[in-house]
Amino acid sequence: MAEIENSASQASGESSFLLSDNHVKSEQSVEPTLPVKKKRNLPGMPDPDAEVIALSPKTLMATNRFVCEICNKGFQRDQNLQLHRRGHNLPWKLRQRTNKEVRKRVYLCPEPTCIHHDPSRALGDLTGIKKHFCRKHGEKKFKCERCSKKYAVQSDWKAHMKTCGTREYRCDCGTLFSRRDSFITHRAFCDALAQESALAQSLAITSSEGDMTKLQVVAPSVSAVVSSPPPPPLTPSTGVLSPVLSIQSSELPENQTAQLQLPPGAAAPFADVATVTASNSSTSSGNIAGNGGIFASIFNVATSAELSQLAAQPPVASYSTMLCTMAGQDQPIIDPMSLSLSSTLYLSSGSSSLYPAALEHPHRHYTPTPQPDLSATALLQKAAQMGATSSNSSFLRGLGLATTPPPDRQDSRNSIIAPSHWNNTTHVKLENSSVASGLELGLPSSSSPASFNELMMNSSSLFGNRPATLDFLGLGMGAGEASTGGFSAFLSSITDGLDMTTSNSFAGVGSTVDTWDYPSDRKPSML
Amino acid sequence: MDTLFRLVSLQSDQSLNSSRTSSSSRSSRQNLYQQEDEECFNIFMDDEDFSSSSSKHYNPYPHHQLHHHQQHHTASNTPTPTTTTTTGSATPTHQHVYDQSADQFSYSPARDVTLEFAASLSGQNSRWASDILLETAKAIADRNSTRVQQLMWMLNELGSLYGDIDQKLASYFLQALFSRMMDSGERTYRTLISASEKNCSFDSTRKMVLKFQEVSPWTMFGHVACNGAIIEALEGESKLHIIDISNTFCTQWPTLLEAIATRSDETPHLRITTILVSKSGGANGGAAGVPKVMKEIGSRMEKFARLMGVPFKFNVIHHAGDLSELSLAELDIKEDEALAINCVGALHSVATVGNRRDLLISILRRMQPRIVTVVEEEADLDIGVDGLEFVRGFQESLRWFRVYFEALDESFPKTSNERLMLERAAGCAIVDLVACPQAESVERRETAARWSHRLQGGGFRPVSFNEEVSDDVRALLRRYKDGWSMIQGSDSTGIFLSWKDQPVVWASAWKP
Repeated sequence: MAEIENSASQASGESSFLLSDNHVKSEQSVEPTLPVKKKRNLPGMPDPDAEVIALSPKTLMATNRFVCEICNKGFQRDQNLQLHRRGHNLPWKLRQRTNKEVRKRVYLCPEPTCIHHDPSRALGDLTGIKKHFCRKHGEKKFKCERCSKKYAVQSDWKAHMKTCGTREYRCDCGTLFSRRDSFITHRAFCDALAQESALAQSLAITSSEGDMTKLQVVAPSVSAVVSSPPPPPLTPSTGVLSPVLSIQSSELPENQTAQLQLPPGAAAPFADVATVTASNSSTSSGNIAGNGGIFASIFNVATSAELSQLAAQPPVASYSTMLCTMAGQDQPIIDPMSLSLSSTLYLSSGSSSLYPAALEHPHRHYTPTPQPDLSATALLQKAAQMGATSSNSSFLRGLGLATTPPPDRQDSRNSIIAPSHWNNTTHVKLENSSVASGLELGLPSSSSPASFNELMMNSSSLFGNRPATLDFLGLGMGAGEASTGGFSAFLSSITDGLDMTTSNSFAGVGSTVDTWDYPSDRKPSML
Repeated sequence: MDTLFRLVSLQSDQSLNSSRTSSSSRSSRQNLYQQEDEECFNIFMDDEDFSSSSSKHYNPYPHHQLHHHQQHHTASNTPTPTTTTTTGSATPTHQHVYDQSADQFSYSPARDVTLEFAASLSGQNSRWASDILLETAKAIADRNSTRVQQLMWMLNELGSLYGDIDQKLASYFLQALFSRMMDSGERTYRTLISASEKNCSFDSTRKMVLKFQEVSPWTMFGHVACNGAIIEALEGESKLHIIDISNTFCTQWPTLLEAIATRSDETPHLRITTILVSKSGGANGGAAGVPKVMKEIGSRMEKFARLMGVPFKFNVIHHAGDLSELSLAELDIKEDEALAINCVGALHSVATVGNRRDLLISILRRMQPRIVTVVEEEADLDIGVDGLEFVRGFQESLRWFRVYFEALDESFPKTSNERLMLERAAGCAIVDLVACPQAESVERRETAARWSHRLQGGGFRPVSFNEEVSDDVRALLRRYKDGWSMIQGSDSTGIFLSWKDQPVVWASAWKP
């Protein structure tokens, strides 16, 4: 996953601050204009050879249609029923997986008005179509008693119930909310909203000036609950909005790569310094914030190996968004390792055992740069400040241990802009740790730049049309509606639907970005 | 307080000149209150006392009272307020030297009166303020000026804007009654309004409204119900227009925007036209304040709509004069837009004279909305001009504002500035109700039954909120402290928010 794109094309520079770009644009227009709809890749682009299956609504809605004749217990799958029959000492038979090539099957949504009713947009798995049908066309009969949110799919509801009320909404201004609508109302009136757009603007400007290659991955939001695998919620109303995983990578100068301890297998050097900011959601400023503002830590991701480590960790750090900024060769004064990126580990698990690793590299300590606003430490402090009251304390602990901010940086609250000044910047925004596990899945393919692009591109095509703006509120974040299952679905769809895997894919991402300007385009229509 | 009674006596002499008297003893008191006041209300006090000092003759030194009253409380069971100031001019006809055992050194100018309320004052759950105030209103209706003076003296001694609920009620209602007697209600009202507008900024307004929502469902109740009804009524429409006549500073709309943005169908275009009413008579009483706030709010709304990805337009219409004079042309209603009208506290802001309220309803009807949502506070505050009518209305006002103050009391922390602002606004409303002419009044609430009658007469039929909305409201109420509940209205006309079994806010939806 961690991989370096060599180039520094101006065009791609814009994509990294996609939200901000969007924001700036919309700032300029007095009112939202209704744009021409952009064509983009939509979910459900099956293999043309696949067998198309149209199931009736009844079949789709049927739960437990395999019923045991002894005890009337129902099962969703015949296999499960067979296993159950075994308990009754009834004859049972498990279907053997044939090694013969099974023809791929795709499924149509029975709703004629639905986009997935069209065979060309059929969905690739049965569970997916079932959930799609329930979520989009079914009655939302599962209702959370606490917050009155309703779900059509029971697993969504269950996942929600696990987290509802346990989570607090945090505005960038520092205020915490336990209620969603209070938070929404506050958010609309809060000064943080106005400030963010200003910040976004400056970010956008600096980023376009910079010499960066940025990738944007929009990944499904995943809940903290790993064990519950519902795919990402399909309707925005479930509250899970598109989490953004954005990765900006830039190539390292040769002389610095040596420090990176790259695993031999890594095809490309990972950027040497990465500042990762975790937050529980993203906001309009794109890189900062969300639900509660920056909620976590900044740290270095030293190698792709570390990233994979990160991915392998249990996703304790739920709903966090990571922002990795890689400092480039233009800033030699900044020791690339200064932020001691071993804290990736904290990001994923907060496990203290990983921590000492960070401390083993004293040479990585931060050297103050002449320009205060470029200070990585200040960035870190900012994150620490914002995250200080976050519920995700493991992040903070890790952060606190890893950093010894110079006192003279205390006042640089605005230095969050700093990373954009660095020439080579890598931003990794992860919605939460399940995305991290997604990274793990993605790693095998990340050994080549092309496949990385593939990942990027695909995901942007997949999710780019979701109302990501909604997510800036961080409303849906980690509410448990989604899980790793969603991510693997995401990955598999990557392999399905790529049509833009070329090196200029960044530009493609950029075009996805453009669509954000168009409110009418943002309807989530995936699945 | 001696000032007050000098005024009252003067009035009975028909030689009142209030402006002359108001500053007579001010300077000496100023010191007093600076020394005494170590309370946490400093900031507010200063604001208020300096901004509106010119007309504060009705209750010039609340801090002094506070001080007094705390003394009084610590002395516990002495029913008599202790007066340390004895001015010869204060109601000389009723001076008694007080029993030595009761108090060391004090006059009671109205011993019989204080004894009358002794039980009430010492009782644990007493509502002495209501008792005394009601007696005062009766005395006013009876034109018994001596008794009025005695009672007001008591109220002035006992009341405090910063005390408990009874003290507050005493203080605010005394202010209103006094204005009424002085026939200075309108001026008092204007002064209060302009004082509050002077302190009114986007910041303070936002803080107050949001804090109120955070601690109490009072306004959120209507928002949730109305938004639910509006969204249902406009389902599937691609162009929405909401005409908003409400007093909650657009805090209703972010959640609606969010709901619209996450609707499963195409995000519709939304236009919100907020009508800002400025009383023509009241004129420029700090008129700059609210429009400026609305402008800021408008830009927030636009920003937020962009964030949510809803194509959005926000307009503020400044309407001078009574709402019943609203003209359709002002509103830019378009044929191809599905229209909803949202009235929160709007109907009662129309004066009760003539048939203005029905007129407004007929105007709403002519707009041909898909839906009209109405939120009103459940009270019958049509205070009569005189006599029994007045007493009855006054009594209802006492009941209503006690409930309101109690609800605020249990929701907010004791020293909340936002709460103080809300109470001040209520104080304004009390002056409006008690001391201002009906034709100018913007606070005369009616009951749900009465509004329903008017709306039905105006060609609307009630729409009941669907289960989903009711569920949402119930879920909302669960998050607040105990005491809030939802009651279905009779004949499917809306729902009530109830506070400790008293219906306080009514929300309803209507279709032509």
